[in-house]
Amino acid sequence: MTEIATSPTYRRAGGLRILLERYPFLPALAIVLVLLALNGVFSPNSLSYRSLTGLLSTYMALILLAIAQTYVVYAGDIDLSAGSILSLVNVAIVVLMERWGGGAGAVLLALAIGLLLGLACGLVNGLVVAALRLQAIVATFATSIFFTGLALYILPVAGTPAPTIFWRTYGGRLLGLPFVFYILVGLVVLLAVLSRTRLATQLLAVGDDQQAAYQTGLPVVAIRIRGYLLCGLFSALAAFCITGDTASGDPLVGGKMTLFSVAAVVLGGSALSGGWGTVVGSLLGALTIGLISSVVFFMGTPSEWQNFVQGLAILVVLMAGVLAGRRARP
Amino acid sequence: MSKLKLNGVSKAYGATLALRRGDLEVMAGEVHVLMGSNGSGKSTLCKIIAGSVRPDEGRILINDTPVTITGPRSARAQGIGIFYQELSLAAHRSVEENICLAALPARARLFVDRAALKDRAARYIALFDGVSGEGFSADALVGNLRPDQRQLVEIMKALASEAPLIIFDEPTSALDRAQVERFFEILRDLKRRGRGIIFISHRMDEIKAIGDRVTIIRDGETITTLNLNETDAGTVIRLMVGGAGDMPASQSSAPAAVDAKDGAALTVRNLSGAGFRNVSFEVARGEILGFGGLHGQGQSALLRAIFGAGSVSTGEILIGSDRFDATSPRDAIRRGCAYVSGDRGRDGVISGRPIIENVTPIHYLRDRLMIARPSKLRDKVAPALESMHTKFASLFHPINSLSGGNQQKVIIARWLIDRPDVLLLDDPTKGIDLSAKADLFALIRQLAAEGLGIILYSSEDAELLGNANRILVFNGGSVSRELIGPERTRYNLYQAAYEAA
Repeated sequence: MTEIATSPTYRRAGGLRILLERYPFLPALAIVLVLLALNGVFSPNSLSYRSLTGLLSTYMALILLAIAQTYVVYAGDIDLSAGSILSLVNVAIVVLMERWGGGAGAVLLALAIGLLLGLACGLVNGLVVAALRLQAIVATFATSIFFTGLALYILPVAGTPAPTIFWRTYGGRLLGLPFVFYILVGLVVLLAVLSRTRLATQLLAVGDDQQAAYQTGLPVVAIRIRGYLLCGLFSALAAFCITGDTASGDPLVGGKMTLFSVAAVVLGGSALSGGWGTVVGSLLGALTIGLISSVVFFMGTPSEWQNFVQGLAILVVLMAGVLAGRRARP
Repeated sequence: MSKLKLNGVSKAYGATLALRRGDLEVMAGEVHVLMGSNGSGKSTLCKIIAGSVRPDEGRILINDTPVTITGPRSARAQGIGIFYQELSLAAHRSVEENICLAALPARARLFVDRAALKDRAARYIALFDGVSGEGFSADALVGNLRPDQRQLVEIMKALASEAPLIIFDEPTSALDRAQVERFFEILRDLKRRGRGIIFISHRMDEIKAIGDRVTIIRDGETITTLNLNETDAGTVIRLMVGGAGDMPASQSSAPAAVDAKDGAALTVRNLSGAGFRNVSFEVARGEILGFGGLHGQGQSALLRAIFGAGSVSTGEILIGSDRFDATSPRDAIRRGCAYVSGDRGRDGVISGRPIIENVTPIHYLRDRLMIARPSKLRDKVAPALESMHTKFASLFHPINSLSGGNQQKVIIARWLIDRPDVLLLDDPTKGIDLSAKADLFALIRQLAAEGLGIILYSSEDAELLGNANRILVFNGGSVSRELIGPERTRYNLYQAAYEAA
């Protein structure tokens, strides 16, 4: 028997609510536009084609990492090792490219191995969390230490440079357009394809109510593992971008990016409890974080206060997003 | 030919036997009704068939072949579909996605075939055309729907399994007449097509309308299977209740009605709120007032509202002769109101902390203690625990080291250091063993004798009949009947609870 409710608790769907339900990332988009405008106010130059390209190539890694995080958050899980996977793949491909001479073939082979490495890390996380049923937050924290350990073994000290061909391509142009634009377009297409897969719906159903999904007959363990596999894959892609941006290997580069990726997911309107969210939102969330640092910089904040102001700004944006998102969530 | 046969299936959760011996045989083309009181094991039996609970013992045969069901997926593969009483819906997914969730139509094995999904869902949505209510559409999010509409989605989801055997575990509890009628038409159609259907409902009229045969379960055991057209409601209820059905609940010391000469401990007038409406009653000092009825008819909601943990929209509450409108449990506690919930994990136990800390929080609150010495506290804690015969190694062991029954004794002991005036018991014996229950009720009676006003809601009718001076039977959020003196029989209690809502 269900509890009897004398007063109906459901709400009528209004226009704004329907819009937010269909496009939950709208608040994040609005925030990005506001931040862009603020950037323009403080430094008109920051809206130039070149600066925006620079912003995109700097934050492409965080965008990919936030998307990686989104797929596990879909299912109500979390991956605190995403940043460490990024570091591990970063040092692995840099070392491999150097060993193999830094030619185009070597680069492509190293990238393929990097993808496999990311998938392997995702598999480890998936097995530990979904199959062994350990708490995701602690288990992936532990694997993050483990992955960092591997990265430090491969490259104990930061600094090995990436081959010129690699970072020149990443930072350069192709047919007159910056290379990162192609990455962005490719990414959008990939996300559109992924959002139509059965896996995306299944991940969201598992995150919505794991028990219900199990009773429905979904293979919950396998679905959660696949979520972690996707996370590992996108973390590896993020590693490629960070390698292109910094042009070197650093075994600790991703450590502090993990929580930024979680923040980006939340800023993008996804629920950390699972079952509700969009990858586009996370993309915008990562951009928000990038734009906040840029605004803080262009405002002329003294360097010792930049962290303080940045943290405050993220809190404010988070609050704005929560207020808007609360209306959208059923 | 029998579609499904269960032989001696049992399931225990720790020390509690949820199902002792379940036998069941369902034929093709019949609606087989399962009947039994709260906690008799019906739902456990259904979950075993559907694979979400693994049986400890027993045999399951489908089409006369023994099978092992390892999980919900395997049950589906064996041709079993189920409507879950607590629903198995994803609130943030659309109606059509929920209907097809178990087997999303695929293109290239990887992508959701949206067109096929829409088509398939539309077939089942069309079955309830005209009765599904305002705001119900294929792309509406399930979380935005009314409770009855959600129940319809779960029905559609069960139907979409197209399984030869479908279980409906209380599918009609939130539906209105028209929806039930439509649902029964669909069931009759399924019957004609040779499907087997297991049906659970607490409404006698529905069971007569749709059922072919009925299997009665009592205390986790299958009692018998009857043809419904050869029997009547009275017989069925008597079988559910057991041999003692007609006799008054004259256990050794069934309490007599208390006359309110000492004045009322708690008065409730025309109280309405979320989950209950227009409830009025009075509890005299020294009286144990029982709340009966089926699960979730507003009993818990009312108790929590009195304790300040739920919402009250209209009406008034008095403790003694003073107006008492607790704004929070903190306020209620200060003014002498106590609440013990059967859901210890959520409402009682401070998990992982020592026993002494679990006994003293109320004392801290009522005496506004800031700093306390364990040795002094021990003198207050020990008698409270002893009066309940609580077994524990030391006061400083974590509460989780105790059994469920002893944990509940610790929770009750916390109210005994500073005596409250009113004690609200919200199904306090859920999941505790028999001897702990006996200790608990001995104490409750003693407290009543000392002049406390006590309200006891229990999902076990025997507890009500054995301890309550009066029983209010709840149905649909309000009191449908009051049982006093010799009226307090199992038969009357069931009848009042099972009357068509």
